[in-house]
Amino acid sequence: MSTLPTTGAAEGTREGPYLELPDRVSLYRFMALQRAVEERGLSLYKQGRVPGSYYDGRGQEATCVGATYALNAADTVCPLIRDMGAHLVRGTTPLAILAHYLGRAGGVGRGRDGNVHLGEASRGVVGMTSMLADMVVVAAGMALAFKLRGEPRCSLAFFGDGATSVGDWHEAVNFAAIERLPLILVLELNGYAYSTPSAAQFPVHPLARATAYGIHGEPVDGNDVEAVFEVTRQARERALAGEGPTLIAAKTMRMHGHGAHDDARYVPAELLAKWEARDPLARQRGRLVELGVDVAAIDAAVAEEVAAAAQAALAMPAPDAASATVGVYAASEPTPLGRGEAPWSGFCS
Amino acid sequence: MASDTRVDVLLPSLGISVVEGTIVRWRKQPGDAVVYEEPICDIATDKIESELPAPATGTLVEILVEEGETVDVGTAIAVVLTDQDRADAIAARQETVLDTAYGVPLAPGEPGAVSPVVARLAKDLGVDLAQVNGTGAGGRIRKQDVIAAADQDKVAARYEPPPPVALSHMRRSIGAHMKRSLDTAATVTSWIEVDFSAIERTRMEIGTTALPIVAKATLQTLGEFPDLNAWVDGERFTRHETVNLGIAVAIEGGLIVPVIRSAELLSVLELGSAIRELAGRARAGELAPDELADGTFTITNPGQFGTVMATPVISQPQVAILDVEAIVRRPVVVDDEIVVRSICILGLSWDHRALDGAIAARFLGALRRRLESWGAG
Amino acid sequence: MQLTYLEAISDGLRCALREDDRVFLLGEDIGVMGGAFKVTAGLLDEFGPERVIDTPISEEMIVGGAVGAAIVGMRPICEMQFADFVACGFDQIVNVAGKLHYRLELAAPIVIRLPCGGGVSGGPYHSANPEAWFLHAPGLKVVAPSTAEDAKGLLLAALADPNPVIFMEHKGLYRRVRGEVPEGPYETPFEARTVRDGDDLVVITYGAMVHAAAAAIEQLDGASVRLLDLRSLEPLDEEAILAAARECSKVVIVDEANYTCAIGAQVSALIAERAFEDLDGPIIRVATPDVPIPFAPELERAVLPSVERIRAAITELLAY
Repeated sequence: MSTLPTTGAAEGTREGPYLELPDRVSLYRFMALQRAVEERGLSLYKQGRVPGSYYDGRGQEATCVGATYALNAADTVCPLIRDMGAHLVRGTTPLAILAHYLGRAGGVGRGRDGNVHLGEASRGVVGMTSMLADMVVVAAGMALAFKLRGEPRCSLAFFGDGATSVGDWHEAVNFAAIERLPLILVLELNGYAYSTPSAAQFPVHPLARATAYGIHGEPVDGNDVEAVFEVTRQARERALAGEGPTLIAAKTMRMHGHGAHDDARYVPAELLAKWEARDPLARQRGRLVELGVDVAAIDAAVAEEVAAAAQAALAMPAPDAASATVGVYAASEPTPLGRGEAPWSGFCS
Repeated sequence: MASDTRVDVLLPSLGISVVEGTIVRWRKQPGDAVVYEEPICDIATDKIESELPAPATGTLVEILVEEGETVDVGTAIAVVLTDQDRADAIAARQETVLDTAYGVPLAPGEPGAVSPVVARLAKDLGVDLAQVNGTGAGGRIRKQDVIAAADQDKVAARYEPPPPVALSHMRRSIGAHMKRSLDTAATVTSWIEVDFSAIERTRMEIGTTALPIVAKATLQTLGEFPDLNAWVDGERFTRHETVNLGIAVAIEGGLIVPVIRSAELLSVLELGSAIRELAGRARAGELAPDELADGTFTITNPGQFGTVMATPVISQPQVAILDVEAIVRRPVVVDDEIVVRSICILGLSWDHRALDGAIAARFLGALRRRLESWGAG
Repeated sequence: MQLTYLEAISDGLRCALREDDRVFLLGEDIGVMGGAFKVTAGLLDEFGPERVIDTPISEEMIVGGAVGAAIVGMRPICEMQFADFVACGFDQIVNVAGKLHYRLELAAPIVIRLPCGGGVSGGPYHSANPEAWFLHAPGLKVVAPSTAEDAKGLLLAALADPNPVIFMEHKGLYRRVRGEVPEGPYETPFEARTVRDGDDLVVITYGAMVHAAAAAIEQLDGASVRLLDLRSLEPLDEEAILAAARECSKVVIVDEANYTCAIGAQVSALIAERAFEDLDGPIIRVATPDVPIPFAPELERAVLPSVERIRAAITELLAY
């Protein structure tokens, strides 16, 4: 089985650091975009224009952006609740996301599913279900297919502490470990699963889970986007080399409640204050400023882009009621998952 | 499946110390139906007399101890064949089936209630449900019953007659007359075959149709049998001394019978003219009422169309009518040889109230002789 | 060729593996052991461990893994060792596979084989007929063959379908039913089949109950009773069901599954709704009562619909 990707000559043979300046800027931009989109979505929700519930990943942008940035076009990704940045890295637009929140016909979910339950199949992104470990199983299944076909591809699943308690998680990790599947497991240790603190979720250190299944476990500062990128890049190399899954335990903090309906009063104020000081955007902004990058210009461009997207999304039509019962079944030969964008300069696309 | 059970009827003990009993009287005989606890016989012991109730519902099939006999307590004195057990078993089994089938026991609804398909089929096929015999549970009408009923009167149900037309006045009055005649008279018809060779010869010689010759022969024969030239009315009989001969004429839309008064006075040729003339005026609707009245005997001659026999209706209050049908070439036996002759069947309908068959037959025989020897000597 | 129901399924799997590289099998004990019932015997030897995968006891992984492989272009056929164990994979079937296309326009062409059915003293966890759960969940298809020929044909048709299809293979029929099965690949349409014709009453059923119903009808001298084998439960062949109900006017439905909300309840509701005007009697259902399937033969026989019970129901309704 090939250990080198079929796309790109430079990948895997380069010496570190693997991020060029444009990559470092890109990483910041994607995080800024995630924050801007999610803030805008929250505002619309509070105005009563977003039906149902609203969830965001404030404070966790570095984990999902950094990890997804390490994936190649043909790799597949299963984002969960906090991972809007993953969608953005793969190429899903702010307009498509905001329209999705609003339940418009032109949104990613076309009104069929809402809030964080989205995923553009054409970009190799599989939308989540509410059963939080489901997609870990599906990701393992995709990895199985890549291995059976000898393809240099991997799949990545995001999940939080809570999901690691669901039976499905264990079935997936166990099987992936036995079969040495090219699977990257990103555990977002964000302190809380709804109101359950991590301490009540794990009887052992989370990385002991990796040991228990005989897979590689790697801790990382989940708020350092470049560190997350690097750890994931290595995990991918490992996967393509046939060494099986890696469990990346990214330490971060869920800065908002579980959803907009949750004021998270069970989270101590000091904890939030401590993590506010470690804001992932501030961290990366600091690096770029030092390198002489005009971050303010990036922020302004992002703000403008999201404002325009919001306006356009609000103008989009609602789905046709007659379409509610359409599309339960596939009618024709299915289209497999497509290829997403792979912005890392280390890939030649 | 359990077969019918034979149950012994045992002589019971009717007291602690009672050891035997006597059959006083059998209330049931073999073949009789018995119902559980119904008395089937009277028993006497030295203590009391008592009725013995049947131990089961069914049929008494055998008496083992006759009246007057004394037997020990516990002896079988009769046998009852019961379907009780079987009935219970069947009910129990059905209950189980239905319960475990999770269905409601099938109970057809109110009498007269029909299922949707039965109602629809009955309407579509034109079946009157009140006339249909239901073969379903509890006598309900099933779909198959409606279809069977429809098949039976399929023709009637499907035939759509055309709209009727009112009968004409003439038709109705002819009909009324005929009906009244048949209701009134005891109409009998007699026939005779006549060799018309002589008639054929004569008519060709004198240039007429056969009818006036037959009329003349009839008039002469009526002279011998005057009882046929009469009216009968209830209990009264009028024998006429002259013959007012009616000749039935077919006209447009019906028939009419002009009368030749005292026709016996006319010759064949005169009869022929009279008939022609009357027939012509009859068809033109120019007959006067007195030309239609007072007929005493009628001749009808439909034979021109080929028919050979008929049962003509007597014109009331006359007692007879002569029917002359077609003259047909036929093989007949003469002197033990088969020859071809012109044969005509004459029919005489006559009223049995006024005369009997012998007279009618003799009349016809005489008429035949006259016709067969016409023109000879 | 004359094959048993089991051999027909094996043959179908073999055809699929030969004809299409995208096809692979996942399940417990299907490889080395050849399957708990020997359905997959010989396939590991012929096709290798990358086409016939022995998994740990992980029903969610088996189903969800199949979904994952399918959405990147494979055509997996997975097996739950007994239909009863599908409950352990229920979430992946109902919440992932079933809802995927509606939500994401992403098709999951998977087949899930469920060895189902009672009559083998399997007890409460090896005798179930859970198909009704999956009719009730949107986005899934369910088929249930009763003959060897249909077993192979429906399996291959299920494989060709771009949707998740649940394949109810009745273990009681594995070796009990034999028939003429065409060689090579062929597909049986997801439609009902009239097993025998008749005009006075129709028995509607599927799976092993087709054979019980046929035996019951044989015992009725000369009665004109039609037998309709549904074969496809989702989609239900509504046209065939309604035509039979309209033509025969009397309907007996047999469910081996537990009475409440079994497939027969749906068929019954459909007929009552759309063929009311043509009914000449109530719709009668013969079903297993709402009990876990007991183990002792006397108890099991008492609950599963028997030939006698079916015949009694037909007889009673005919006479109504």
